[in-house]
Amino acid sequence: MARQIDQLRKGTTTMALLKLLEDVGEPLHGYAIIQRLEARTKGALEFKEGLIYPTLHRMEQEGLLESRWLGEPGTRRRKVYTVTDQGRRRLRRELLEWETFSDGMGLLLGLSEART
Amino acid sequence: MTIDDVLEGIRVRLNLEAETEYDVVEEIRAHLEQVLDDARAGGGDEEAALRDAAARFGIDEAAGELHAAHLGRGLADGVAAAALPVLFALVLRWLVFAPGGSAGDWQEVLARPAFWAVAVAALLVPLLRFPRWRYALASWAFFWALSIIFFCFPALRW
Repeated sequence: MARQIDQLRKGTTTMALLKLLEDVGEPLHGYAIIQRLEARTKGALEFKEGLIYPTLHRMEQEGLLESRWLGEPGTRRRKVYTVTDQGRRRLRRELLEWETFSDGMGLLLGLSEART
Repeated sequence: MTIDDVLEGIRVRLNLEAETEYDVVEEIRAHLEQVLDDARAGGGDEEAALRDAAARFGIDEAAGELHAAHLGRGLADGVAAAALPVLFALVLRWLVFAPGGSAGDWQEVLARPAFWAVAVAALLVPLLRFPRWRYALASWAFFWALSIIFFCFPALRW
């Protein structure tokens, strides 16, 4: 069961990160992102910290996020991330796909009735 | 165990170009420093908090994923930094220089708007393309070197 949840979480991390950053509406660094993700799920989902950073970097390379450093070299600097317009479009698309998928699975598993 | 110990464990496994490695390590440093700040604020044991953070991070897996995420980016940028000036120098050679490729009057060449359009594009495109401005400047310098060679050596007419 834990493994299934883990696989599902891995497949939706990009969407989760985009949704969080869009909702917050301000630049966040990796530590804050991880804390807020776990707070939002009330601890139901645990996001491995070491895997969040590679995901953030890939998303930036894909143009879904942009980053900048806060602070001067030699002092404590933090890299903060914000969503790009391309990231917002991707989020809308993935939310629509997720809604379709979850509705379909709900029907398949008898967990929900068909919407009229 | 210190933050530097944890970061060294990640750094040796990253195997990335120096500048990318530096940025990645500094980002993780900020993460670990925040962990210690929270431990201090909560009155907890800092070393235990750091050990826990390192365990949660999963150094081996994280380093592998970070390596995979950045693999090839530096190489791709290097190849583009070499190819773009060649392309622009060829455009300059065919568009701006005398049809026969001869040196002609260099003052006349400098007076042509097309010359400056290509020269500006040869700088702007790399600046927009590369995340590091040093690659863009190196690309532009290479463009000028090639352009001068095309301009000065009639044997390169073709």
